Amino acid sequence: MNINQDLIERYHRDECTKEERKEVEDWLFAEDFAEELDLPISESKAEHKASMWNEIAPTPAKEYINKSHSFLFWRGAIAASIVLGLIGFGFYQFTLKTKNDSPQFVSIDNTSAINVRHLDSKGYNISVGPNTFAKINYATDSVDLSGSMLISPKKDVELIFKGNNKKISLKMGQTYIILNGKTNEDNFIVVSERNLMDLPPVLQKQIINQFSI
Amino acid sequence: MQKRTIYKSVREVILLLAVAILSISFYSCSQKSEKSSLVVKKKYSIYVLGKDGKEYIVETNSLDSGKILPEKQGVLLNSKTMDRDIIVKNGSYYHLNRKKAELSKYNVQDDSLHTVASISLKDFSIENYLWVGKDSLLLTGLDVKNFSQTKFVLIETGKMSLLNSDNLAIPQPSGKFTSMSIGFAELRKNHLFIGYTYHQKLGSSNYTTSDTTYIAELDYPQMNLLKIDKDTRSTYPGGINTVQSYSFNDENNNFYFMTCPGIALGNRPDLPTGIFRIKAGEERLDKDYFINISSSLVNNHAYGMWYLGNNKAIIRSERKDLFKGLSDHYSTAHFEFYLVDLSAAKILKKLNLPLDKGTRRECVIVKDGLAYIAVNSSTEGNFVWIYNPTTETLNKGLELAGNTDFIMRIDKLNI
Repeated sequence: MNINQDLIERYHRDECTKEERKEVEDWLFAEDFAEELDLPISESKAEHKASMWNEIAPTPAKEYINKSHSFLFWRGAIAASIVLGLIGFGFYQFTLKTKNDSPQFVSIDNTSAINVRHLDSKGYNISVGPNTFAKINYATDSVDLSGSMLISPKKDVELIFKGNNKKISLKMGQTYIILNGKTNEDNFIVVSERNLMDLPPVLQKQIINQFSI
Repeated sequence: MQKRTIYKSVREVILLLAVAILSISFYSCSQKSEKSSLVVKKKYSIYVLGKDGKEYIVETNSLDSGKILPEKQGVLLNSKTMDRDIIVKNGSYYHLNRKKAELSKYNVQDDSLHTVASISLKDFSIENYLWVGKDSLLLTGLDVKNFSQTKFVLIETGKMSLLNSDNLAIPQPSGKFTSMSIGFAELRKNHLFIGYTYHQKLGSSNYTTSDTTYIAELDYPQMNLLKIDKDTRSTYPGGINTVQSYSFNDENNNFYFMTCPGIALGNRPDLPTGIFRIKAGEERLDKDYFINISSSLVNNHAYGMWYLGNNKAIIRSERKDLFKGLSDHYSTAHFEFYLVDLSAAKILKKLNLPLDKGTRRECVIVKDGLAYIAVNSSTEGNFVWIYNPTTETLNKGLELAGNTDFIMRIDKLNI
């Protein structure tokens, strides 16, 4: 068997078979080398011996330390992970709850010319119409809207609309249609979906098609 | 021994309980069947929107007096499938379910609304209905995508079967105009008159209407386009008559219709609201007849018109000084009712009623010479008022209380 660096390293890592172990030990503790290494003529045997010993000499110690280190490290890391994980999970739960209870704002920019975007937050169900930008600040109950949206609050709220500062009372569970045009020619309209028939039929048809209601 | 007696008595109690439960269920079943056998044809129906958004249909025999709580005496409607754009005739209700693209016939039975029969109505948005026979319903409408192709369906309403349907040759909107509206359909022997106009989209929440009222004349039942009449004295003829009435025939078959350029319909407020006429036996607009409502003592736009009899009509007009825009147009009490003399072509007087709420409502019934007018007042409640044109008196009739927010429509159900 050839004794090489890999085998010696495996020996120190305690990964050798019985035979390999015996081989290495025989080789290590032999008074004389039974086998002579065949080296190229230009290379000095003494140099190789020295470099070999240099390479393997610190290895057992290093390996040992590493092993114990890694064991300790992993044990600690696992424990820490569990603790951190638990804290993190709890924190996540907490933040999730706060976020849902009083989220700061929701911002939707629907650049599609056809599709409606839907959003279900804890405070509202919202559908944003095509070519619409909507930003709702939950802390101030203010809304910045350009375009059209359907909103269904999960509790009674009063919303203030940016631009005209109109205060609108919305009742829990009802769906409201809100239109706020981009140009001065456009109207600002808020009606309950149940009063859709009160809007001009031309606008009704537009809303029915946009939101598929 | 004692144990056995206990078991026996427990068994007896269980048996007794079972018998009691069975008898109660039998009793309640017999109660229900007794109730369902009592099919009473009520004279009127009332469509109510509740304060909590719930909707009801209440059927009643009298509008003259009393008090109705819709949550107790009414039928709760499924607001996902039902809405107040309905046609009411001979005890049945007809409604188009947009999502299912199905026109259904309903009856009220056992305190709920039952579907009697349905017919598929694909790509059809109802603009106007017209009974052309006892069981023949002619619907005029538009395609649901662009609202620019006029079409019709003729339905036999007994079994809800399709008799005929096709597109109409009325020109589609062109140039700056993007969509259109049909405001009335009127049949005279073998000629069908369809009033319509075109709209221009101005923004995501704004539009306007052409300055022209168009009337297409078609042969019936072939439905070929014969000619188109135009008039620019006012625009937006009529409106969707499943929601509110805008036209009628008098006793002599003179046909009258209203034009509605106000913000709630045409959004051409620069033009006046008016009343036009097609004289009996004629096939074109009476060019010498026009009642300018906006420049009369009404001094506002109006939407909705009902025939009272003896050349008198009732119109419903807005008060522009009381609402701010479309957002509060329906929720603010600002509507007034005026009496119109059609033969003299003038507004006679304002009816002394409380200000009414709701942008569009089918709120007037005329029966035995009396006008029953449903008014949603913010201060005086929801009442059906009775106007007697002979004595020129107004009295409070039936009250809709409880959960009632708006009386949305009153209809003759079995008269």
